[in-house]
Amino acid sequence: MRDGVNFARIGIPAVALVTDEFWPQGDFVAQSLGMPDVPRVQLPHPIAGTGTKNMKAIAADCAPAIIKALEADHD
Amino acid sequence: MTDLFSAVDEAAALEDLHNRNMTDGLPVIIPTPARVSKMVLASGQDADMVLGAMGPANGMATLEKVAVAAVMAGCLPDYMPLVLGAVKAVIDPRFDLTEMQATTHCTAPLIIVNGPARHTCGPVSSSYGALGPGHRANASIGRALRLAMINIGGGRPGTSDMALLGHPGKFSYCLAENEEVSPFPPMHVDLGFDSQDSVVTVIGAEAPHSVLFSGDGDDPNQYELLLEILAIGLANAGTNNAILTGGMATIVLNPEHASVLHKAGLSRQDIASEIYQRCEMDGAEANRLCAGFARKTLKPRQAFTGPDQLLILMSGGSGLYSMVMPSWSAGANKNSAVSVKVEADFYCEVPSFVGA
Repeated sequence: MRDGVNFARIGIPAVALVTDEFWPQGDFVAQSLGMPDVPRVQLPHPIAGTGTKNMKAIAADCAPAIIKALEADHD
Repeated sequence: MTDLFSAVDEAAALEDLHNRNMTDGLPVIIPTPARVSKMVLASGQDADMVLGAMGPANGMATLEKVAVAAVMAGCLPDYMPLVLGAVKAVIDPRFDLTEMQATTHCTAPLIIVNGPARHTCGPVSSSYGALGPGHRANASIGRALRLAMINIGGGRPGTSDMALLGHPGKFSYCLAENEEVSPFPPMHVDLGFDSQDSVVTVIGAEAPHSVLFSGDGDDPNQYELLLEILAIGLANAGTNNAILTGGMATIVLNPEHASVLHKAGLSRQDIASEIYQRCEMDGAEANRLCAGFARKTLKPRQAFTGPDQLLILMSGGSGLYSMVMPSWSAGANKNSAVSVKVEADFYCEVPSFVGA
Protein backbone atom coordinates (compact mmCIF):
# COMPACT_ATOMS: atom_id res chain seq x y z
CA MET A 1 0.00 0.00 0.00
CA ARG A 2 2.85 2.37 0.83
CA ASP A 3 4.40 1.62 -2.56
CA GLY A 4 1.11 2.48 -4.25
CA VAL A 5 0.89 5.77 -2.38
CA ASN A 6 4.52 6.59 -3.08
CA PHE A 7 4.11 5.94 -6.81
CA ALA A 8 0.91 7.96 -6.92
CA ARG A 9 2.64 10.87 -5.20
CA ILE A 10 5.23 11.10 -7.97
CA GLY A 11 2.58 10.85 -10.64
CA ILE A 12 3.03 7.27 -11.73
CA PRO A 13 -0.28 5.40 -12.09
CA ALA A 14 -0.29 2.60 -9.55
CA VAL A 15 -2.63 0.00 -8.14
CA ALA A 16 -1.92 -1.60 -4.78
CA LEU A 17 -2.68 -5.31 -4.59
CA VAL A 18 -4.00 -6.17 -1.14
CA THR A 19 -5.27 -9.52 0.11
CA ASP A 20 -8.61 -9.62 1.86
CA GLU A 21 -6.97 -10.38 5.22
CA PHE A 22 -4.89 -7.22 4.91
CA TRP A 23 -7.63 -5.00 3.48
CA PRO A 24 -8.29 -3.15 6.78
CA GLN A 25 -4.55 -2.56 7.21
CA GLY A 26 -4.46 -1.20 3.66
CA ASP A 27 -7.25 1.23 4.49
CA PHE A 28 -5.42 2.28 7.66
CA VAL A 29 -2.14 2.93 5.86
CA ALA A 30 -3.83 4.78 3.00
CA GLN A 31 -5.62 7.05 5.45
CA SER A 32 -2.61 7.62 7.66
CA LEU A 33 -0.58 8.63 4.61
CA GLY A 34 -3.26 11.09 3.55
CA MET A 35 -4.37 9.26 0.40
CA PRO A 36 -7.43 7.25 1.43
CA ASP A 37 -8.61 6.71 -2.16
CA VAL A 38 -5.38 5.35 -3.60
CA PRO A 39 -6.44 2.63 -6.10
CA ARG A 40 -6.32 -0.93 -4.84
CA VAL A 41 -7.53 -4.35 -5.86
CA GLN A 42 -8.49 -7.07 -3.45
CA LEU A 43 -6.92 -10.52 -3.76
CA PRO A 44 -7.74 -13.73 -1.88
CA HIS A 45 -5.62 -14.67 1.12
CA PRO A 46 -3.20 -16.36 1.32
CA ILE A 47 -1.20 -16.15 -1.88
CA ALA A 48 2.38 -16.74 -0.75
CA GLY A 49 3.32 -20.38 -0.93
CA THR A 50 0.12 -21.54 -2.65
CA GLY A 51 1.90 -22.71 -5.81
CA THR A 52 2.38 -21.46 -9.35
CA LYS A 53 -0.92 -22.80 -10.65
CA ASN A 54 -2.93 -20.94 -8.03
CA MET A 55 -0.95 -17.74 -8.43
CA LYS A 56 -1.52 -17.78 -12.20
CA ALA A 57 -5.23 -18.28 -11.64
CA ILE A 58 -5.36 -15.36 -9.21
CA ALA A 59 -3.37 -13.20 -11.66
CA ALA A 60 -5.82 -14.04 -14.45
CA ASP A 61 -8.77 -13.25 -12.22
CA CYS A 62 -7.48 -9.90 -10.98
CA ALA A 63 -5.87 -8.60 -14.18
CA PRO A 64 -9.10 -7.01 -15.50
CA ALA A 65 -9.66 -5.24 -12.20
CA ILE A 66 -6.10 -3.91 -12.24
CA ILE A 67 -6.51 -2.61 -15.80
CA LYS A 68 -9.84 -1.05 -14.89
CA ALA A 69 -8.30 0.67 -11.88
CA LEU A 70 -5.40 1.98 -13.96
CA GLU A 71 -7.76 3.31 -16.59
CA ALA A 72 -9.81 5.01 -13.92
CA ASP A 73 -6.60 6.51 -12.55
CA HIS A 74 -5.96 8.17 -15.91
CA ASP A 75 -9.41 9.78 -16.10
CA MET B 1 -3.05 19.88 23.50
CA THR B 2 -4.06 16.29 23.93
CA ASP B 3 -7.76 15.45 23.42
CA LEU B 4 -9.75 15.21 26.64
CA PHE B 5 -12.43 12.61 27.31
CA SER B 6 -14.85 12.72 30.21
CA ALA B 7 -16.47 9.99 32.30
CA VAL B 8 -18.56 9.83 35.44
CA ASP B 9 -15.87 8.03 37.41
CA GLU B 10 -12.59 6.13 36.99
CA ALA B 11 -14.30 2.78 36.42
CA ALA B 12 -16.32 4.26 33.57
CA ALA B 13 -13.20 5.97 32.22
CA LEU B 14 -11.37 2.64 32.16
CA GLU B 15 -14.19 0.98 30.23
CA ASP B 16 -14.23 3.91 27.82
CA LEU B 17 -10.50 3.57 27.18
CA HIS B 18 -10.90 -0.18 26.59
CA ASN B 19 -13.78 0.46 24.21
CA ARG B 20 -11.71 2.98 22.27
CA ASN B 21 -8.93 0.37 21.88
CA MET B 22 -6.58 2.68 23.76
CA THR B 23 -5.26 0.08 26.18
CA ASP B 24 -3.12 -3.04 25.84
CA GLY B 25 -6.03 -5.10 27.15
CA LEU B 26 -5.04 -4.73 30.80
CA PRO B 27 -6.37 -2.11 33.21
CA VAL B 28 -4.55 1.20 33.05
CA ILE B 29 -4.12 4.14 35.38
CA ILE B 30 -6.55 6.80 34.17
CA PRO B 31 -4.45 9.64 32.72
CA THR B 32 -6.19 12.54 34.39
CA PRO B 33 -4.88 16.03 33.60
CA ALA B 34 -3.43 16.28 37.10
CA ARG B 35 -1.48 13.02 36.80
CA VAL B 36 -0.25 13.83 33.32
CA SER B 37 0.80 17.31 34.42
CA LYS B 38 2.88 15.87 37.24
CA MET B 39 4.51 13.43 34.86
CA VAL B 40 5.31 16.30 32.49
CA LEU B 41 6.60 18.36 35.39
CA ALA B 42 8.89 15.53 36.39
CA SER B 43 10.46 15.65 32.93
CA GLY B 44 11.42 19.28 33.44
CA GLN B 45 10.51 19.96 29.82
CA ASP B 46 7.61 21.54 27.97
CA ALA B 47 4.46 19.52 27.38
CA ASP B 48 4.32 20.47 23.72
CA MET B 49 7.91 19.50 22.95
CA VAL B 50 7.80 17.33 19.85
CA LEU B 51 9.84 14.13 19.86
CA GLY B 52 8.81 13.04 16.37
CA ALA B 53 6.26 11.05 14.40
CA MET B 54 5.37 7.47 15.27
CA GLY B 55 4.24 5.13 12.52
CA PRO B 56 2.21 3.65 11.04
CA ALA B 57 -0.37 6.31 11.99
CA ASN B 58 2.28 9.06 11.89
CA GLY B 59 0.97 10.42 15.17
CA MET B 60 3.10 13.19 16.61
CA ALA B 61 4.74 12.18 19.88
CA THR B 62 4.77 15.21 22.11
CA LEU B 63 6.18 15.04 25.59
CA GLU B 64 2.63 15.30 26.95
CA LYS B 65 1.37 12.36 24.91
CA VAL B 66 4.29 10.25 26.07
CA ALA B 67 3.50 11.32 29.63
CA VAL B 68 -0.07 10.08 29.09
CA ALA B 69 1.31 6.68 28.08
CA ALA B 70 3.62 6.65 31.10
CA VAL B 71 0.75 7.43 33.49
CA MET B 72 -1.46 4.77 31.91
CA ALA B 73 1.36 2.21 32.20
CA GLY B 74 1.81 2.83 35.91
CA CYS B 75 5.19 4.55 35.71
CA LEU B 76 6.59 6.59 38.55
CA PRO B 77 7.81 10.06 37.50
CA ASP B 78 11.36 8.83 38.13
CA TYR B 79 11.03 6.53 35.13
CA MET B 80 10.27 9.31 32.64
CA PRO B 81 13.86 9.79 31.39
CA LEU B 82 13.96 6.12 30.39
CA VAL B 83 10.49 6.20 28.80
CA LEU B 84 11.48 9.27 26.78
CA GLY B 85 14.76 7.62 25.80
CA ALA B 86 12.93 4.54 24.57
CA VAL B 87 10.42 6.61 22.58
CA LYS B 88 13.24 8.65 21.03
CA ALA B 89 15.00 5.42 20.05
CA VAL B 90 12.03 3.93 18.20
CA ILE B 91 11.30 7.26 16.48
CA ASP B 92 14.81 7.28 15.04
CA PRO B 93 14.42 6.45 11.32
CA ARG B 94 17.00 3.68 11.65
CA PHE B 95 14.53 1.76 13.81
CA ASP B 96 11.94 1.38 11.00
CA LEU B 97 9.08 1.70 13.48
CA THR B 98 6.31 1.82 10.88
CA GLU B 99 7.41 -1.39 9.21
CA MET B 100 8.16 -3.06 12.52
CA GLN B 101 4.71 -2.25 13.90
CA ALA B 102 2.99 -3.48 10.74
CA THR B 103 4.84 -6.74 10.06
CA THR B 104 3.32 -10.20 10.44
CA HIS B 105 6.46 -11.26 12.32
CA CYS B 106 6.50 -11.50 16.12
CA THR B 107 8.80 -8.64 16.99
CA ALA B 108 8.72 -6.29 19.96
CA PRO B 109 10.99 -3.47 21.08
CA LEU B 110 13.40 -4.83 23.69
CA ILE B 111 14.60 -1.98 25.95
CA ILE B 112 18.08 -2.41 27.43
CA VAL B 113 19.16 0.09 30.09
CA ASN B 114 22.79 0.85 30.92
CA GLY B 115 24.50 3.31 33.22
CA PRO B 116 23.55 5.11 36.44
CA ALA B 117 19.91 5.59 35.38
CA ARG B 118 19.39 1.87 36.06
CA HIS B 119 19.32 2.96 39.70
CA THR B 120 18.33 6.64 39.64
CA CYS B 121 15.44 6.15 37.21
CA GLY B 122 14.35 2.78 38.50
CA PRO B 123 15.54 0.52 39.89
CA VAL B 124 15.45 -1.39 36.62
CA SER B 125 16.07 -5.02 37.41
CA SER B 126 18.93 -6.98 35.85
CA SER B 127 18.55 -10.01 38.06
CA TYR B 128 16.10 -12.87 38.55
CA GLY B 129 13.05 -12.49 36.37
CA ALA B 130 14.16 -9.17 34.93
CA LEU B 131 11.81 -9.66 32.00
CA GLY B 132 8.95 -10.23 34.38
CA PRO B 133 6.83 -10.44 36.27
CA GLY B 134 7.35 -8.52 39.46
CA HIS B 135 9.63 -5.58 38.67
CA ARG B 136 7.69 -2.34 38.57
CA ALA B 137 10.11 -0.25 36.52
CA ASN B 138 10.78 -3.01 33.98
CA ALA B 139 7.07 -3.72 33.64
CA SER B 140 5.84 -0.16 33.37
CA ILE B 141 8.64 1.42 31.28
CA GLY B 142 8.22 -1.19 28.56
CA ARG B 143 4.46 -0.91 28.84
CA ALA B 144 4.63 2.87 28.45
CA LEU B 145 6.50 2.45 25.17
CA ARG B 146 3.89 -0.06 24.00
CA LEU B 147 1.00 2.25 24.91
CA ALA B 148 2.73 5.07 23.01
CA MET B 149 3.08 2.72 20.03
CA ILE B 150 -0.64 1.95 20.26
CA ASN B 151 -2.09 5.39 20.92
CA ILE B 152 0.41 7.63 19.12
CA GLY B 153 1.76 5.19 16.54
CA GLY B 154 -1.59 3.52 15.88
CA GLY B 155 -0.38 -0.08 16.13
CA ARG B 156 -3.48 -2.20 16.76
CA PRO B 157 -3.76 -5.94 16.22
CA GLY B 158 -5.43 -7.10 13.03
CA THR B 159 -5.68 -3.71 11.37
CA SER B 160 -2.32 -1.98 11.62
CA ASP B 161 -0.25 -4.43 13.70
CA MET B 162 -0.42 -7.61 11.65
CA ALA B 163 1.73 -9.85 13.87
CA LEU B 164 0.22 -13.28 13.39
CA LEU B 165 0.49 -14.23 17.05
CA GLY B 166 2.62 -11.52 18.68
CA HIS B 167 4.48 -12.40 21.85
CA PRO B 168 4.14 -11.55 25.53
CA GLY B 169 7.03 -9.07 25.30
CA LYS B 170 4.67 -6.84 23.38
CA PHE B 171 3.12 -5.94 26.74
CA SER B 172 6.51 -4.95 28.12
CA TYR B 173 10.08 -5.96 27.27
CA CYS B 174 12.60 -4.11 29.38
CA LEU B 175 15.66 -5.02 31.40
CA ALA B 176 18.97 -3.58 32.57
CA GLU B 177 22.47 -4.95 32.20
CA ASN B 178 23.98 -6.18 35.45
CA GLU B 179 27.10 -4.07 35.14
CA GLU B 180 28.14 -4.76 38.72
CA VAL B 181 28.38 -8.52 38.17
CA SER B 182 29.33 -8.70 34.50
CA PRO B 183 33.02 -9.43 33.85
CA PHE B 184 32.85 -7.33 30.70
CA PRO B 185 32.71 -3.54 30.26
CA PRO B 186 29.11 -2.27 30.19
CA MET B 187 27.44 -2.78 26.83
CA HIS B 188 27.01 0.97 26.27
CA VAL B 189 30.74 1.54 26.78
CA ASP B 190 31.51 -0.97 24.04
CA LEU B 191 28.97 0.89 21.90
CA GLY B 192 31.02 4.08 22.30
CA PHE B 193 29.37 5.84 25.24
CA ASP B 194 31.05 7.02 28.42
CA SER B 195 30.73 4.73 31.43
CA GLN B 196 28.91 7.48 33.36
CA ASP B 197 26.41 8.00 30.57
CA SER B 198 22.99 6.44 30.94
CA VAL B 199 21.86 4.84 27.73
CA VAL B 200 18.68 3.23 26.48
CA THR B 201 19.19 0.76 23.64
CA VAL B 202 16.12 -0.53 21.81
CA ILE B 203 16.10 -3.43 19.37
CA GLY B 204 13.26 -5.29 17.70
CA ALA B 205 13.39 -8.79 19.15
CA GLU B 206 11.55 -12.07 19.20
CA ALA B 207 10.58 -13.55 22.55
CA PRO B 208 13.57 -14.85 24.55
CA HIS B 209 14.69 -18.35 23.58
CA SER B 210 16.32 -20.29 26.39
CA VAL B 211 19.79 -21.77 25.80
CA LEU B 212 20.73 -24.53 28.23
CA PHE B 213 24.41 -24.98 29.01
CA SER B 214 25.92 -26.76 31.98
CA GLY B 215 29.60 -26.00 32.21
CA ASP B 216 32.34 -28.51 32.94
CA GLY B 217 35.14 -26.94 34.96
CA ASP B 218 37.46 -29.82 34.03
CA ASP B 219 37.16 -29.07 30.33
CA PRO B 220 39.34 -26.15 29.30
CA ASN B 221 37.51 -25.95 25.99
CA GLN B 222 34.00 -25.84 27.43
CA TYR B 223 33.61 -22.28 26.18
CA GLU B 224 33.59 -23.57 22.62
CA LEU B 225 30.54 -25.68 23.34
CA LEU B 226 28.82 -22.69 24.87
CA LEU B 227 29.57 -20.56 21.82
CA GLU B 228 28.23 -23.31 19.59
CA ILE B 229 24.99 -23.76 21.49
CA LEU B 230 24.39 -20.00 21.62
CA ALA B 231 24.84 -19.84 17.85
CA ILE B 232 22.42 -22.72 17.32
CA GLY B 233 19.81 -21.01 19.45
CA LEU B 234 20.28 -17.65 17.82
CA ALA B 235 20.25 -18.65 14.15
CA ASN B 236 18.58 -22.01 13.79
CA ALA B 237 17.02 -22.76 10.42
CA GLY B 238 13.59 -21.54 11.48
CA THR B 239 14.73 -17.98 12.17
CA ASN B 240 14.47 -15.04 9.81
CA ASN B 241 18.13 -14.31 10.47
CA ALA B 242 19.22 -17.70 9.12
CA ILE B 243 16.96 -17.66 6.07
CA LEU B 244 16.70 -14.00 5.08
CA THR B 245 20.18 -13.31 6.50
CA GLY B 246 21.07 -10.07 8.21
CA GLY B 247 19.49 -8.05 10.98
CA MET B 248 20.76 -7.38 14.46
CA ALA B 249 19.99 -9.82 17.28
CA THR B 250 20.46 -10.08 21.01
CA ILE B 251 22.29 -12.44 23.37
CA VAL B 252 21.66 -12.18 27.11
CA LEU B 253 24.31 -14.11 29.01
CA ASN B 254 23.71 -15.27 32.55
CA PRO B 255 26.50 -14.76 35.11
CA GLU B 256 27.90 -18.30 34.79
CA HIS B 257 28.01 -18.28 31.02
CA ALA B 258 29.56 -14.81 30.99
CA SER B 259 32.20 -16.09 33.39
CA VAL B 260 32.99 -19.14 31.23
CA LEU B 261 33.59 -16.93 28.22
CA HIS B 262 35.54 -14.33 30.18
CA LYS B 263 37.82 -16.96 31.72
CA ALA B 264 38.55 -18.22 28.22
CA GLY B 265 40.04 -14.80 27.57
CA LEU B 266 37.25 -13.59 25.32
CA SER B 267 36.11 -9.98 25.20
CA ARG B 268 32.59 -8.97 24.15
CA GLN B 269 33.91 -8.35 20.65
CA ASP B 270 35.62 -11.77 20.63
CA ILE B 271 32.37 -13.46 21.68
CA ALA B 272 30.45 -11.68 18.96
CA SER B 273 33.03 -12.70 16.39
CA GLU B 274 33.05 -16.34 17.50
CA ILE B 275 29.25 -16.60 17.50
CA TYR B 276 29.01 -14.78 14.18
CA GLN B 277 31.33 -17.33 12.60
CA ARG B 278 29.26 -20.19 14.02
CA CYS B 279 26.01 -18.77 12.68
CA GLU B 280 26.67 -20.27 9.29
CA MET B 281 24.24 -22.21 7.15
CA ASP B 282 24.70 -24.23 4.02
CA GLY B 283 23.02 -22.46 1.11
CA ALA B 284 21.55 -25.65 -0.32
CA GLU B 285 20.03 -26.49 3.03
CA ALA B 286 18.49 -23.03 3.36
CA ASN B 287 16.97 -23.37 -0.10
CA ARG B 288 15.68 -26.85 0.67
CA LEU B 289 13.94 -25.62 3.81
CA CYS B 290 12.63 -22.27 2.62
CA ALA B 291 13.13 -21.83 -1.11
CA GLY B 292 10.73 -18.91 -1.31
CA PHE B 293 12.77 -16.69 0.95
CA ALA B 294 16.32 -18.05 1.08
CA ARG B 295 18.94 -16.24 -0.95
CA LYS B 296 19.70 -18.17 -4.12
CA THR B 297 23.17 -19.34 -3.33
CA LEU B 298 24.45 -22.80 -2.62
CA LYS B 299 27.49 -21.49 -0.78
CA PRO B 300 27.67 -21.34 2.99
CA ARG B 301 26.21 -18.05 4.20
CA GLN B 302 26.35 -16.22 7.51
CA ALA B 303 23.11 -15.41 9.31
CA PHE B 304 24.47 -11.97 10.16
CA THR B 305 26.46 -9.44 8.17
CA GLY B 306 29.11 -9.08 10.85
CA PRO B 307 29.94 -9.49 14.55
CA ASP B 308 28.77 -5.94 15.19
CA GLN B 309 25.21 -7.11 14.48
CA LEU B 310 25.13 -9.02 17.77
CA LEU B 311 24.16 -7.18 20.94
CA ILE B 312 25.63 -8.99 23.93
CA LEU B 313 24.82 -8.16 27.53
CA MET B 314 24.79 -9.84 30.90
CA SER B 315 21.56 -9.97 32.83
CA GLY B 316 19.36 -12.33 34.79
CA GLY B 317 19.84 -14.66 37.73
CA SER B 318 22.42 -17.35 38.34
CA GLY B 319 21.89 -20.78 36.75
CA LEU B 320 21.98 -22.82 33.58
CA TYR B 321 20.16 -20.61 31.12
CA SER B 322 21.13 -17.75 28.89
CA MET B 323 18.69 -16.21 26.44
CA VAL B 324 18.90 -15.37 22.78
CA MET B 325 16.51 -13.20 20.81
CA PRO B 326 16.56 -13.70 17.04
CA SER B 327 14.95 -10.90 15.08
CA TRP B 328 12.65 -9.92 12.26
CA SER B 329 15.74 -8.82 10.30
CA ALA B 330 13.76 -6.91 7.67
CA GLY B 331 13.00 -3.24 7.08
CA ALA B 332 15.11 -0.75 5.19
CA ASN B 333 17.63 -0.68 8.03
CA LYS B 334 17.62 -4.41 8.69
CA ASN B 335 16.40 -4.44 12.26
CA SER B 336 18.91 -1.94 13.58
CA ALA B 337 19.29 -1.34 17.28
CA VAL B 338 19.22 2.32 18.30
CA SER B 339 20.96 3.67 21.41
CA VAL B 340 19.96 6.97 22.98
CA LYS B 341 21.78 8.79 25.75
CA VAL B 342 19.39 9.55 28.57
CA GLU B 343 19.20 13.26 29.28
CA ALA B 344 18.70 13.20 33.01
CA ASP B 345 19.74 16.78 33.74
CA PHE B 346 16.31 18.23 33.01
CA TYR B 347 14.42 16.12 35.46
CA CYS B 348 13.04 17.18 38.78
CA GLU B 349 11.56 15.28 41.66
CA VAL B 350 7.80 15.57 42.06
CA PRO B 351 6.58 14.77 45.57
CA SER B 352 3.17 13.32 46.38
CA PHE B 353 2.62 11.74 42.99
CA VAL B 354 0.74 8.78 44.39
CA GLY B 355 -2.94 9.52 44.84
CA ALA B 356 -3.02 12.44 42.46
